[in-house]
Amino acid sequence: MKKALMPFFMVAVLALIPYVGVRYAGLGYLFGIVLPYTAMTVLICGFIFRMADWMRRPVPFCIPTTCGQEKSLDWIKQDKLESPSSFLYAAARVLSEVFFFRSLFRNTRSELHKGSNLTYGSNKWLWLGGLAFHWSLLVIMLRHARFFFIMVPDALQYLDDADRFLDVTLPAFYMTDALVLAAVTFLVLRRIRDARMRVISLPSDFFPLFLILAIILLGISMRYVTKVDVMPVKALMLNLLNFSFEPPGEIGTLFYVHLFLICVLAIYFPFSKLMHMGGIFLSPTRNQCNNSRAKRHRNPWNSDIKFRTYAEYEDDYRDKMKKAKLPVEKQ
Amino acid sequence: MIRTKTMIFLGLTLVLFASFYAFLQDGMAEKTTQQTAQYLHQPVSVDSTKCIATKEFMRANHMRVLNEWRNSSVREGNRIFLAPNGSKLEKSLNTCLGCHKNNKLFCFNCHMYANVKPKCWNCHISAMETP
Repeated sequence: MKKALMPFFMVAVLALIPYVGVRYAGLGYLFGIVLPYTAMTVLICGFIFRMADWMRRPVPFCIPTTCGQEKSLDWIKQDKLESPSSFLYAAARVLSEVFFFRSLFRNTRSELHKGSNLTYGSNKWLWLGGLAFHWSLLVIMLRHARFFFIMVPDALQYLDDADRFLDVTLPAFYMTDALVLAAVTFLVLRRIRDARMRVISLPSDFFPLFLILAIILLGISMRYVTKVDVMPVKALMLNLLNFSFEPPGEIGTLFYVHLFLICVLAIYFPFSKLMHMGGIFLSPTRNQCNNSRAKRHRNPWNSDIKFRTYAEYEDDYRDKMKKAKLPVEKQ
Repeated sequence: MIRTKTMIFLGLTLVLFASFYAFLQDGMAEKTTQQTAQYLHQPVSVDSTKCIATKEFMRANHMRVLNEWRNSSVREGNRIFLAPNGSKLEKSLNTCLGCHKNNKLFCFNCHMYANVKPKCWNCHISAMETP
């Protein structure tokens, strides 16, 4: 239980820092200007560094994981997506993994029934929860464009309208708010409820979940319950985007907590498991083509082998071979 | 097995409750009309010349006040708002616009800046639409 409680308290302490700092020490400039710039720099540089580091690593073997018929004779039907032989299908496979989590869709659960009967069953809850979580977060992030642009692009405006399509409550209720809250709750409970999941869960699994949960709760609270004046918030965000260092106006303390936790998330990002965002594109078991029979995969760290061809051999020993009456190819 | 049955039963109850929820509201309607009558016959002088709360409060919370006003005045017929300073105001958009119509862009300036699109003007005539 300590593994879950420690990240929880860490997030609570982190949330208290800007609350005390802004409310009692008046450090609005630090938390509103200095920290966001620092966090974004760390995020962007760290992300690029990690990706460049991974991209430079050699891939010694052709090891795509497949679950379909590979390209073979003409009359054998190939499963093009599950066992791709061209770049296009391999890319499609990676993208379907990114957008729809296909491999999670195949998740199974094994259980012992009545003593020693081991049974396997389809288990799609993680897939559904993960999909709801990631998509909601993406939509919520895109919705925040209204704080970053003077005129919101049309596509994002349509997304926003679709999200509050239900048209209930006065600051219009966003469906993704409820969805992401349900999904993140499920993801936390999934790790806590089952004894086997508890064993393999680490503080680094719980920390981002609690951090994101805190950010979501603060955002929802600022929108629906403890209202915050959005005008200085938008002014601050426009300033940040224009690389201006003007001090922020009078904004509610909760906003600074929200912003600070996002900065913490941004700084934490490149050093953590959250890098799966970029890493999924680079995983060799996913992004390679299953064409090891058609095309030779060269291990980049193999040293060059010096081959000696028969022609060279014959050149060296031609006279001796002729004397021994051995046939030679070239006279 | 028992747990599954309980879950099914609970789900069915929820569905039943959800589908009859609308009728439940209808059943309570009579009481509301009585209330309305009571409010309508209450003679109250209405004053629309003062601010109902501080500027800072209104900047963040005006939408809540308007929402509350709409619900209680339209659904319960209670059109009188007792301001914290003791004055009585009519719960109406006109109470606000009485003063704030001076600037035609009073609502729109901020709403456009913050990209907020409230549905007030779907029914009400905005200051922008009056000559």
